[in-house]
Amino acid sequence: MPGKNLPEIANEPCRRCKENSAALVVRTEPLCRDCFVKYVHTKAIKRLESFRVRNAAPDHHRKILLALSSGVSSAALLHILDHHLKTQKTKTGRTGFALSVVFVGAPDVNFQAEELLAKARDHYPDHEYASLPLYDIFCLVSDDASLLALIRPLGAAPDLPPAEKLAQLINSLTSATARADVISTIRTRLIVEHAKSIGCEGILWGDSTTKLAEKTLAETAKGRGFSLPWQVADGESPFGITFHYPLRDVLKKELVSYVKLAEPSLASIVHASSVPTQASMSSKNTTIDDLMKQYFESVEENFPSIVSNVVRTTSKLEAASVSASDPYCDLCNMPVPAGRFGIHGWGGDQKDGVDGCNKEGLDLCYGCTRSIPQLAIDTNGNP
Amino acid sequence: MPPNPCASCKTNRALILRPKDHSKLCKGCFIDVFEAEIHHTITANKLFYRGEKIAIGASGGKDSTVLASVLKTLNERYDYGVELILLSIDEGIKGYRDDSLETVKRNAQQYNMPLTILGYDELYGWTMDQVVEQVGKKGNCTYCGVFRRQALDRGAARLGVKHVVTGHNADDVAETVLMNLLRADLPRLSRTTSIVTSTPSASLDPNSHTNIKRSKPLKYAYEKEIVLYAHHKNLDYFSTECIYSPEAFRGSARALIKNLERIRPSAILDVVRSGEDMAKLVPGSDEGCGGACGNAVPAGEEEEGGCGSANGRTAGGDMANMEQHLAQNEAAAENGLEVEITSRHINDTHDSSVPLPAGKKGKKNKGPSSTQRKTTKQVMGQCKRCGYLSSQDICKACVLLEGLNKNRPKNKIEVGYEDGQETEKELNSVTNGLNKLHVEGG
Ligand SMILES: [Zn+2]
Ligand SMILES: [Zn+2]
Repeated sequence: MPGKNLPEIANEPCRRCKENSAALVVRTEPLCRDCFVKYVHTKAIKRLESFRVRNAAPDHHRKILLALSSGVSSAALLHILDHHLKTQKTKTGRTGFALSVVFVGAPDVNFQAEELLAKARDHYPDHEYASLPLYDIFCLVSDDASLLALIRPLGAAPDLPPAEKLAQLINSLTSATARADVISTIRTRLIVEHAKSIGCEGILWGDSTTKLAEKTLAETAKGRGFSLPWQVADGESPFGITFHYPLRDVLKKELVSYVKLAEPSLASIVHASSVPTQASMSSKNTTIDDLMKQYFESVEENFPSIVSNVVRTTSKLEAASVSASDPYCDLCNMPVPAGRFGIHGWGGDQKDGVDGCNKEGLDLCYGCTRSIPQLAIDTNGNP
Repeated sequence: MPPNPCASCKTNRALILRPKDHSKLCKGCFIDVFEAEIHHTITANKLFYRGEKIAIGASGGKDSTVLASVLKTLNERYDYGVELILLSIDEGIKGYRDDSLETVKRNAQQYNMPLTILGYDELYGWTMDQVVEQVGKKGNCTYCGVFRRQALDRGAARLGVKHVVTGHNADDVAETVLMNLLRADLPRLSRTTSIVTSTPSASLDPNSHTNIKRSKPLKYAYEKEIVLYAHHKNLDYFSTECIYSPEAFRGSARALIKNLERIRPSAILDVVRSGEDMAKLVPGSDEGCGGACGNAVPAGEEEEGGCGSANGRTAGGDMANMEQHLAQNEAAAENGLEVEITSRHINDTHDSSVPLPAGKKGKKNKGPSSTQRKTTKQVMGQCKRCGYLSSQDICKACVLLEGLNKNRPKNKIEVGYEDGQETEKELNSVTNGLNKLHVEGG
């Protein structure tokens, strides 16, 4: 924690303003509360240069979507953006963009999403809000034929209510890793579809440096290396909408401090994360995401610059050039260069056999194929 | 049918839970599928050609022993028509190689393959014991690592062999992928994922050791399956587990791989696949042409740095050194200072650090998508002395040898070990965390 040495630094002056006494140490620099808040704001706003007031045509209001998740980072981002827009308004009489906020409830959340969103709306009333259940994916995706194909082999009737469809899909997955993977994949898709449907030109994700590093290694471990640039880099996504990660230069632990120091009410829109404690890690319910989360939260403690360096460097990977003829994965919707679907037919698995999924008329990328069970044809009897 | 039939032959009783996909197989089918996959790796990648002479880098350990055994079996079964020989390196550390070299000697008889053991004294004129005597225990790891990197190539060149195969397995490759992500070393990430690393050279001397092709036929084989195969085939190998803990980056990556395998057995393979896919996305990568052109780098570069003595090394040193250097860069960039990259450590890790813009607010940002897309690309040339591929005029081995031969210890290579104690503490917190993370086998 940046504030761990509080007693020791209590008498030290802030290194920036040289006036107030330091409230915490940020990357070896003792800072007071105000200078720390400014530090976090500057890092985030610097990433939003393209949304400055002067870039906004007076007659056309730009709209961007913020994906709120009940975590510390996206809550902090909402607070920063709200403050930023108010400042723009005061200074220029208008804002560079309008903000729309979306919250996606996951099937595994056990807290009151509506309550959380209501509080956010109370505190930051200037923006548009929406709360979507995850199963809305079956309503929002225009050609949901491919998604339906995922559950058809499970015996799902096409006229099943969306909530039931989602439940069937999730219940068919055989591991905690697969469930977490598919849920986050669907969540991303749902947010993209929502953003497009309400006319947003881009999506702001709350991911901190630490989270992006976690994602880098977790997606690599899940066989999604081919789509990594589309998952961590700022700019054009393959979905016809831009992605932005304004908190990419702020560490998770810094955001935890920010939420405590910046505004007392912020904590009310954060739901304590339910990461399994190290003691409760068992192979049954541990996911690859959990593993990387724990790893990077420990690295962040003593090696914060290494975490930043991983993210900075990974963002230099150049996304594969996508041509219009490149096919897309039916689940994650990522372009699959040269149509390399499935897990067979490469150096590491030379079976020429047609993938079970293809038999069902599904095209799944390598990573999605790993998560979606091989349906009926799997004779290996995985537990 | 037996109560628990093999998933493949459906006849025999399944005795083996295959580590790669948890399928239940009988002993015979496991051995068949293990060999079939390696055969496929060899043919699909056209690793060998008829009449080729191939040196197996043999340490007496499980990987190279299984490699020798499988290659012999496949060469006979499928008539590859290749000539296989064993090549072992003796670092010249008294007692260190005795048992493993005895194992290799027995392997040579068991597989009826010619064996050559080359000592550091023959290759470099110095045994490691003599190096330690000269430079002391502190700095000798650098020598060991650099010498080892070139030893197989130099040895092969002496034997007139153009192709060296090594026992690197899927776990090693996956570990290296994660390690290079952690070290943020994209060029190396892209190199070490390819199955063949050749070192084409401009050298006119056909016997030069820079023309050696390296390949990893076990690239997709799980370590656990290699152990199982050795066990069920009753292979004679020597456990050469390094007793010294690896440096922090590699140690972290190794712990992650072990945990990943517990969570999802396919994860090792999935990391390898991601590594291959990401190699194509590395700026300036030559993957498009199969890695055969231009991107020439000493093939043995991914060779493990482990050596017979860890005395000169602090656990966590590499991570702590890099952290310190990066933090300085960040601070300097924050203050708008020019950053000169002088750290020795950075020379070691090549382009691991990102050149930072000199000015702070001065640079016009062209929007979020226009991050600096520049990776420093190493310019590889040849060592003026020995012809080995090197980014410097004189390769590291020759620099070190020169120092040794001048009878003058090179102190500068010991930089950075002073704050070892504190580092160790920090590192322990990371590795302890990881150890606690050990998930119960499923
Ligand atoms: Zn201050
Ligand atoms: Zn996919």
